[in-house]
Amino acid sequence: MEQTELGKYTRSFGLSFGITSFLSALLVILKETKEDTVLAWMKTATIHHWVTHGLINLAIFVVLGFVLLKPNNGNGVKISSNALAICIAGSVVISGILIAGFYRL
Amino acid sequence: MENLLLLIHPAVGGLATLAALWVFVDTLNVSSASEARIKNVSLICAGLIWLAYFLGGYLYVVHYAADKAIIKAGPWAFGHDFFMEVKEHVFLMLLLLATYLPIAASDSLASSNAARKIVLWVSGLIVPTSLSMEGSGAIISLAVKIGLLFKIKGG
Repeated sequence: MEQTELGKYTRSFGLSFGITSFLSALLVILKETKEDTVLAWMKTATIHHWVTHGLINLAIFVVLGFVLLKPNNGNGVKISSNALAICIAGSVVISGILIAGFYRL
Repeated sequence: MENLLLLIHPAVGGLATLAALWVFVDTLNVSSASEARIKNVSLICAGLIWLAYFLGGYLYVVHYAADKAIIKAGPWAFGHDFFMEVKEHVFLMLLLLATYLPIAASDSLASSNAARKIVLWVSGLIVPTSLSMEGSGAIISLAVKIGLLFKIKGG
């Protein structure tokens, strides 16, 4: 029988990816426009601001993924497959446009 | 060693792209017999993207400064100002997308249309994003070459 429900990890971490990807694009703009504060801190936090950026992304993705597993008695956040697909694809496209637009030719 | 890594990094990325394409095509025709294979190839795809990340990250953090100076002083400064800047930040998104692929592929693909849809979207997004990384890398390499020629010719 065909199932229409997504697994809780697919929903939670899928939504987490969409949010994290968008936040990462915003962090690119923030660190590049606040070089004296945000970028300077990111440079000193690890060996390179890009390494710090990657670690922040990974931490948000993992923590948010597990947080989104909590609702509905541990069954994870409710979201349809169409909404999740739009969230994932939309986040990739919007984040890409934000980053490419910021560093435009 | 640095030059060898410069070859291995895009080669690993290319293999990851092929793995994502494999997952996409296999998921289109999934059956209970192919479910385990899709899960394994999605894990391989994620592993290869992580390997490309570590190789590229090492090159970028340790060796790229000299290349950057050459690019910025040459006629193709956009090789760094646009393509490298976009590449290094879009790659972070690709890394998470590839990490998510085996999570999505661990769902019941043979019996769930919804799970198949998500895996198709994720693997389908990894392919063009990875290809854009390969293309950007080629432009950055060419920008270094043009920058060096420019320097030799006394530009």
